[in-house]
Amino acid sequence: MPFIATTILANFTVPERITVDPKSILLLLPLVAAIAVVYKATKIPTIKPAHFLKESAILFGSIVIFMAVTALVLCVFAWIVTE
Amino acid sequence: MAQRSKEGHYLMLFIIGLAGWLVPGGGHLVLRMNRHAVVIFITIAVTFAIGLYIGSVGVINPVGAKPWYVAQIMNTPAVAALGQMTKTEEYAVYGRPNEIGQIYTSIAGLLNLLCIVNAVYLAHLRGTESAAP
Repeated sequence: MPFIATTILANFTVPERITVDPKSILLLLPLVAAIAVVYKATKIPTIKPAHFLKESAILFGSIVIFMAVTALVLCVFAWIVTE
Repeated sequence: MAQRSKEGHYLMLFIIGLAGWLVPGGGHLVLRMNRHAVVIFITIAVTFAIGLYIGSVGVINPVGAKPWYVAQIMNTPAVAALGQMTKTEEYAVYGRPNEIGQIYTSIAGLLNLLCIVNAVYLAHLRGTESAAP
């Protein structure tokens, strides 16, 4: 048991290896999920699991789609400017 | 009598805000919104833990990254204890993992601030509704 605890704690003292590539953008998703869940927890008066998950998923999807569209618009703008 | 109840109301708001800061979701727990409290606690604790796992505990840096530290300390006062521990800068932290870890831990803190404000607001509404004739 102490070995497991020490191993878990040791993982928090050394940074993970994260490369700068398109895949690293996926690290955005857990953060967006957290924001969607906490925001909905503050807005919904009574939490019923199915309804709460549905509302959170809709907000999560909305944020991701909005960010994707924004990224696309910026890419097109950059392409027009540099061409 | 009315003055005392007003003081009691403000004291209650303060206690709820403090509970929300001491433990994420604590404010909602005091308001007996147990499900809200559990969801908030788990989400904020996991987000904060992911940030520490990615960047190491060194992302909490009260000396070199004060603006981030202000947002991080909104999670819980325990962050200040971690800050004292990492002050010596003996924990490795660098580059992109540092940035991602700081973003995660700071967003977790700001989300907790949102929950504290929400709990205090709900308590205020309940207080004014119960006081209304």
